[in-house]
Amino acid sequence: MNLSNSSISEINKLYKSKELKPSEVYEEVFTNASLSESIIHAHLKLFQEEGIEASKLSDERFAEGKQLSDLDGIPIAIKDNINLKNHETTCSSKILSNYVSPYDATVITKLRNSGVVFTGKTNLDEFAMGSSTENSAFGPTKNPWNPEHVPGGSSGGSAAVVSVGSALASLGSDTGGSIRQPASFCGVVGFKPTYGTVSRYGLVAFASSLDQIGPITNSVEDAKIIFNSIKGHDPLDATSIQDTSIEIPEDKTAKVGVIKELMEDGISDESKNEVEKTIKLLEEQGNKVVEVSLPLTKMALSIYYLIAPAECSANLSRLDGVRYGSRESGETSYEMIENTRAEGFGEEVKKRILLGTYALSAGYYDAYYGQALKARSLITKDFDNIFQEVDYLISPTTPTPAFKFGEKTENPLEMYMSDLCTIPANLAGLPAISIPTGLSNQNMPLSIQLMSPARTDSSLLKFSEKLEKLVAFNQRTPLLKDMK
Amino acid sequence: MNMIPTIGMETHVELNTNSKMFCNCAVVETEVPNISLCPTCLGLPGALPVPNLKAIESITMLALSANCSITNNGMFHRKNYFYPDLPKNYQISQFDLPVGVNGSLEIILDESTETIEIERIHMEEDTGKSIHKGSGRIDSATSTLLDFNRSGVPLVEIVTKPIIRSSKEAVSYIEELRQLVIDLGISEGKLEKGNLRFDANISVAQEGDKELGVKVEIKNMNSLRSLEKAIDYEIKRQTNLIAANKEIIQETRHWDEDKEVTSSMRSKEGSADYRYFSDPDLPNMILSEEFIDNIKKEIPTLPSEKRKKVSDTGLSLSESNHLSKSEGWIYDLYLNTQKITNDSKTTYNFITGELQGQLRKVEMEILPEWVSSERLSEIILMINDNKISFTSGKEILTNLIKNDINPNEFAETNNLIQENDFEEIGKIVKDVIEANNDVVQRIKDGEDKLIGFLVGQIIKSSGGNINPSIAKDLLLKEL
Amino acid sequence: MKKDIDIKSVAKLAAINLSEHEEKKLEKDLNIILEHVEALSKMDIDDEEISIHPLGEILNLREDISSEFLTHDEAMSNSPETEDGHFVVPPSLD
Repeated sequence: MNLSNSSISEINKLYKSKELKPSEVYEEVFTNASLSESIIHAHLKLFQEEGIEASKLSDERFAEGKQLSDLDGIPIAIKDNINLKNHETTCSSKILSNYVSPYDATVITKLRNSGVVFTGKTNLDEFAMGSSTENSAFGPTKNPWNPEHVPGGSSGGSAAVVSVGSALASLGSDTGGSIRQPASFCGVVGFKPTYGTVSRYGLVAFASSLDQIGPITNSVEDAKIIFNSIKGHDPLDATSIQDTSIEIPEDKTAKVGVIKELMEDGISDESKNEVEKTIKLLEEQGNKVVEVSLPLTKMALSIYYLIAPAECSANLSRLDGVRYGSRESGETSYEMIENTRAEGFGEEVKKRILLGTYALSAGYYDAYYGQALKARSLITKDFDNIFQEVDYLISPTTPTPAFKFGEKTENPLEMYMSDLCTIPANLAGLPAISIPTGLSNQNMPLSIQLMSPARTDSSLLKFSEKLEKLVAFNQRTPLLKDMK
Repeated sequence: MNMIPTIGMETHVELNTNSKMFCNCAVVETEVPNISLCPTCLGLPGALPVPNLKAIESITMLALSANCSITNNGMFHRKNYFYPDLPKNYQISQFDLPVGVNGSLEIILDESTETIEIERIHMEEDTGKSIHKGSGRIDSATSTLLDFNRSGVPLVEIVTKPIIRSSKEAVSYIEELRQLVIDLGISEGKLEKGNLRFDANISVAQEGDKELGVKVEIKNMNSLRSLEKAIDYEIKRQTNLIAANKEIIQETRHWDEDKEVTSSMRSKEGSADYRYFSDPDLPNMILSEEFIDNIKKEIPTLPSEKRKKVSDTGLSLSESNHLSKSEGWIYDLYLNTQKITNDSKTTYNFITGELQGQLRKVEMEILPEWVSSERLSEIILMINDNKISFTSGKEILTNLIKNDINPNEFAETNNLIQENDFEEIGKIVKDVIEANNDVVQRIKDGEDKLIGFLVGQIIKSSGGNINPSIAKDLLLKEL
Repeated sequence: MKKDIDIKSVAKLAAINLSEHEEKKLEKDLNIILEHVEALSKMDIDDEEISIHPLGEILNLREDISSEFLTHDEAMSNSPETEDGHFVVPPSLD
């Protein structure tokens, strides 16, 4: 049995029946890491000793029948923009390369209390800005399906570790698609919850009104288990919503909408095919599928690329070399700050900070940021209207499968286009999930995306589980198979 | 050319909440640096703000007391600028939807009431403290030390309309505002501790000009005296510049306490672009009518109301103002004592002059609990009834401060009761005149000064207990 | 709307000391992006309301209770330079 690609609930069963021990599973994922890291560079830090210790404590708990939860003893990797106490939280940036966090993010506290074993911190595009992990200051992560291709971003490392089995699951963060897109590129499941359902306390903020932490896993069920463990109102996060969940009645005949604008030019034939293939399966099961229109879809990119940089320009102001992080010299503190930020930030981060600063500056606020906020309400309204007609929405997760390194780094807009399908859900705060469905002609993973109304996360996950069974895509990256 | 000054005041009040504005760290008063910190007020990556309910209640109470309209659907904004004592390099503040707008505060200037219009009252957070090390001059520091204990403390900013006309008016306004926040119980209001800080915006214009002159901001005035001196200096400086046909530069100037001048600060090119935008970490803040009504119910007696109560007893505006700004026990003691004595002026003078003076002399800050309005009014009534002299009254007070005594009994026991009987006094007067014929003669010859000597003799021979003014009258009659 | 970005002044506001080479590249890239968002800036949507939270949540305020979080050492642990319990920076002029 290939342990590392099994589901969490399968392994938990084996722990409980004592056929398997957490330390054994940890040893296997760590072996996978040792074998794969030199190729894919997904982890920035591997916690070997700490992981062994934690898994041994979990062994004891299961031996005594005192396991903390269904996640006890499960090895999970954490994206390096989520604070883990007494560990470096670098955000893949030079400016935080030596920063050791003195506190745990709320999601980490919850997972710790569940008995999770942390395998290490994973690579990302610097400060979560990017769609390929090429923007990491510590070198890119490679796609386990084909190391010449990107794993996606910004949670490229988190997706790659799950794909290759050097963790059973991981946490990523999603601002414009940064969980779903890399999950899609790496052939695993990626779930972005309704905005506000998972606390952002301890997640290094990129765009505060768009960021959400979510799981990247081998199956939808695993995503559900982790989501249930990390969700919940947090008094430390003023944007975290009360624990109100809305259920979509579980009908065999769910109504699903295909977003017209995401099946047009700009989307590869292969990606469109996956959606069509999936629609057929749904219809065979008695679900009704109709075409719907989200006319502001094209505008969504512009809205996102004004709101996100504006918010991040202020969120990253605190990186100044005064109280933590790297520091350059300067005659005055202002000079020191200017030099520190010039030296410590990569190009993409500088670009977005400057774009955001400009969009907020005197004389331009109304035309750019102010305008984007208003347009955003329109998108939310459009979704509200569509959800009067349908229960779920389906679209490709990405316009294409994973592209090659360097393929989209010339024109600033090209990379941004890869977020076309994922951005709308962030703007409207909707839950969205990417489910792998097949392989391209080049043997690279393909996926579809499902969305549902805000707060209907558990219904979306239930429906996705059903869909996952229908699709029955069970292929894994050949990387380790070839190596073992 | 008559130049009219226009002054607007910007005041920051530190609230006396237990915890900071956006986190649970304690608001501390300590010399030890950097001991009350968390990821939020230290500006660590990943930290988030959650506003303090008590702070919002306090600012709402202040805004209501200042007759402001309360913004029901408000929000917080980020004010972006880089400075080492500002951990996030933005301050969470309020921009176009502050808690309170369009209010007013009644102040007393000389013997009349003025209304100072208030533009806005909004909520924000304080910064850390910077200590510049080096040769001592502000512009030749070698390094800057930072303490973030104060970072995140709740701060209320009150901005007046440009409506103040003199330094005295500005001082009176700050005194009123300070008393208000103290009486509301939302701040200690101690200037020397930095609980209340203010900047002044000053311009001058020719009488009759519709437009205001160029506005100059003055910072670093740490006391009311500095405020008054700085405003006077700046008005003169601007007036002189205009008289010499020179330009007034719109800038921020620093009040130099030692040199007693305002001087240019190292200014940045142009005015700052703070790039205000609504803070995405803080959803809309709804202050419902119910919330506002509940706060209204909690508002205690305001300084202006205290003044009215006092002036209704017959004191002048400035006397009423003085009592409204004295410590609460003095105000209460006055009202309670006056109720019994029915003599406002004497009661006022006795309490603010005699009582406070004597307490100061023996370095007592707290009034002994037995020094009640009943005891004090006994003394005052005895004086008013001519039962004892004013001097005796002072003596009884001295003893009352030391021990709980019954003033009447004390007066009798200590022979302080005055003789008021004309016949009795007349006898003594006659005796003294007989014993001092030569002095009498000299008085008759014009040496009026010696009248006092004879009165003294009369009082002496009586053992000190006769009414001195009756004695004097009778003496003069005899002469 | 003015399309060409004044990169020097924006970099000043953002406190980033760009090299000349960076200035040129970023100016070019940003102008491309701004051109792309031009259509959005021209949309006629003046009447729309702004809401901070995508789900329209309203703010929950917190009780005024104080509690300890970081020790002094934890707070100072990442500081590039400290003195007498203070963070130290080159002189910050007013």
